[in-house]
Amino acid sequence: MGELANGLSVALTPHNLLWGFAGTTLGTAVGVLPGIGPALTVALLLPITYGLDPTAALIMFAGIYYGAMYGGSTTSILLNTPGESATIVTALDGHQMARNGRAGAALATAAIGSFMAGTLATLALSLIAPLMVRLALSFGSADYFALMVLAFVMVSTMLGDSRIRGWLSLTLGLTMGFVGIDGLSGQTRFTFGIPYLLDGLDPVIVAIGLFAVGETLWIASRGPLAAELLPVRGSLWMTGAEWSRSWRPWLRGAAIGFPLGALPAGGAELPTLLSYSLEKRLAKHPQEFGRGAIEAVAGPEAANNASAAGTLVPLLTLGLPTSATAAVLLAAFQQFGLQPGPLLFEHEPRLVWAVIASLYVGNVMLLVLNLPLVGLWVKLLAIPRPWLYGGILVLASVGAFSVHRSVGDLVAMAAIGAAGFLLRAIGAPVAPVMIGVILGPSAEQHLRRALAISQYDWSVFLTRPVSVTLLSAAFVVGMSAVLRSRRS
Amino acid sequence: MMCVMPTLAASQPLVITAPAAPGGGWDQTARAMQRVLTTLEPALNVQVDNIPGAAGTIGLARFIQSERGNPQALMVTGLVMVSGAIMNGSPVSLANTTPIARLTGEYEVIVVPAASRFQSMRDLVEAFRADPGSISWGGGSAGGTDDMLVRLLAEQVGLPSSRVNYIAFAGGGAALAAVLGGQLSAAVSGHAEFAGQIAAGQLRVLAVSAPSRVRGIEAPTLRDAGIDLDLANWRAIVAPPGLSISEQEALTTLIARMSASAEWRQVLIQNGWEDLFLAGAPFRQFLLAEQSRIEDVLRRLASNDRRPAGVRLSPVTVPYIAAAALAGLALVVVFRRPRIEPIDPRALALVSLGLLSLPLIVGTLGFIAAAAGVFVLTATALREGRRGVTVSDVVAATTFAVAVFLLFTRVLGVTLPGPQVF
Repeated sequence: MGELANGLSVALTPHNLLWGFAGTTLGTAVGVLPGIGPALTVALLLPITYGLDPTAALIMFAGIYYGAMYGGSTTSILLNTPGESATIVTALDGHQMARNGRAGAALATAAIGSFMAGTLATLALSLIAPLMVRLALSFGSADYFALMVLAFVMVSTMLGDSRIRGWLSLTLGLTMGFVGIDGLSGQTRFTFGIPYLLDGLDPVIVAIGLFAVGETLWIASRGPLAAELLPVRGSLWMTGAEWSRSWRPWLRGAAIGFPLGALPAGGAELPTLLSYSLEKRLAKHPQEFGRGAIEAVAGPEAANNASAAGTLVPLLTLGLPTSATAAVLLAAFQQFGLQPGPLLFEHEPRLVWAVIASLYVGNVMLLVLNLPLVGLWVKLLAIPRPWLYGGILVLASVGAFSVHRSVGDLVAMAAIGAAGFLLRAIGAPVAPVMIGVILGPSAEQHLRRALAISQYDWSVFLTRPVSVTLLSAAFVVGMSAVLRSRRS
Repeated sequence: MMCVMPTLAASQPLVITAPAAPGGGWDQTARAMQRVLTTLEPALNVQVDNIPGAAGTIGLARFIQSERGNPQALMVTGLVMVSGAIMNGSPVSLANTTPIARLTGEYEVIVVPAASRFQSMRDLVEAFRADPGSISWGGGSAGGTDDMLVRLLAEQVGLPSSRVNYIAFAGGGAALAAVLGGQLSAAVSGHAEFAGQIAAGQLRVLAVSAPSRVRGIEAPTLRDAGIDLDLANWRAIVAPPGLSISEQEALTTLIARMSASAEWRQVLIQNGWEDLFLAGAPFRQFLLAEQSRIEDVLRRLASNDRRPAGVRLSPVTVPYIAAAALAGLALVVVFRRPRIEPIDPRALALVSLGLLSLPLIVGTLGFIAAAAGVFVLTATALREGRRGVTVSDVVAATTFAVAVFLLFTRVLGVTLPGPQVF
């Protein structure tokens, strides 16, 4: 605690506050704009900060990271165009809320949930980082696979009313997820000799294609539109009922996001998916999910911010980068001659605690920065709808294009948009496609990796305590779902 | 200072292609070069262009194709691209470029967890020889430097390289976590990635893949352990094909001067890179030797891919199951004749036209025209009543497209294709 107080005294100097503010503002902007994520921004800024002192530069970079996590939800909610993979799930119900005239509430619950979860997770980072990291290291490939199985069973509630069409979407997502070079063998899968497909389909491109482009095509096929979306129905801010429906998902989202973010192969998408499905299971009105349930925005947004803080656990304590942004942050540490790792806390306590303290400060700044913006963002929905959808397609294409600066991404976006249109036309849900794209390849990699390490001894999944616990949980959840559907 | 490089024009930018995403080793090399070259030659406008994908082979193909004959273009490359080009069946290879110089490299270390029973490289090799499958080696992507080192090592100790139980991980972090957690017998990586854990005593270095002992790494070489092998994860600079001798010389002179500068020394120390500068004919010979060594090991690997007994998942097993299920479900859905609500073909056609024109127009007329086009077509499609394109649509579309273009290119520094008229 004394160390944290020292850190705060460093982080609160006017000089460092200024850099923190620059970082959070820039991060929010980067998060709002589709396509360019925090990893790219930090990488582009690295050479510029060469002359800066390391504490200030790292405080700014941490601000960019946190800011991007806040800002990413904005385009998901307003335009159905996720800017980062961590906010794909937010688009599902967030955009429906916007169409129901509750965009203000959706943005507010995302911002406040991000603040709560970000602060709680930062607290956890400063208190139990060493413990977390020991737990995270004990996770082997077999345990990851068991976790993915549990995730698959949990999210099966997202398959929608028609099982067959839900499975169709899921298998489409799985097949798309397997496209590209197989990470374990280097062999190509489903690439058909097209160089573009070698690196696989980026989940962000798939989401932009399915959500933004597919939706626009679908709306167009419905014929002419009423003049505008409902910018606001009722209060701009969250109502009392919306508050009381939000706070539990915030806390649960934080509790899911932080530990999963700390896992070396956790990623930001898995916690958001798990939070969504957990909220749906616990909700009083699960039928509202997919039609604009506020829990479905509050939970995943909290989870993705908490997982961002979780990512810093292995980075600061072990020097392990577990996301693209963390890898760039690691390069930033190295640029200043610092080696994140077991010795960083011993060698550079002042710097580490200043960066951690700046995360608390950054969270407050982001809340102050984002809440007033809600009113401004909502006005976007007052734009005549023909122009709004025109603008969505422009932002979708610039987003898709700037990820890898490849024309192939534009072709892929249009093709996936066409698939999204077809799915909507036959009444199939689109969310399971994203589940397949996100979970499928990583589950398959962990399965094969676990089997390779155990030399094809399949009992490995039943002899490890973590794996057997997770698989039992998956079995219980799956059975209860089967029983429930029998009864109804 | 006198003009040392007659053919490098200050009016044209010198573009360094980093065939990888920002943040990795190739990108770091390109950006360090940009910094040092700008310090040495303030008049020179040095830019870095990231073209990520498929172990650099996407960047390689684009570099060869679009920079042919350009005397102001360079690309960062390395060992991984040699194997990547072979494994991905790339139609082009480094042989299609103009070699300039090898610049830096990192030697690989073989590590075990501190609690491991293996105290020396000999212990590990003995256990590996006795039961190759029981030793799980972890490292970076399949076909990368780490993978190649273990395969070459197997062949050196008399085992076929296909008997290696190599577990590929995406990125260094995941492999490091797995070896620290005791999931793997041993891990292989560049020294810098494991340096923190080695210093903290959590990992033990059994050997380093350098030809002789490396300062700062307390470990014997593979040769010390009786294995006749060395391998560096080298990084080099190549130029496009079709350059004249004098153009090649100008670039080589520039890179040699950069490599000898005090600023570059500083970069090497900061990043823990070894100075492996080599230019001219020796470098060309080195490239050929590496090419044939990697080709050989990969060919032998492919020709005797022996599989262990038991149910084994090949890389395509699960994907094929998923694709078959997709096809089956699609048939069921079609067979049941889903009720499809009536659609407005005109609006759908207009938006589709806009989307399909995007890739074509972005590549020719630039981003602004493409974006404005898709905007106008969408707005026209969605407007009530059967009116055609309106002036206000065009004005709104152009304004928005220009604003987005300026925001991304000028403020954020993301390059978008376009007639750079602003």
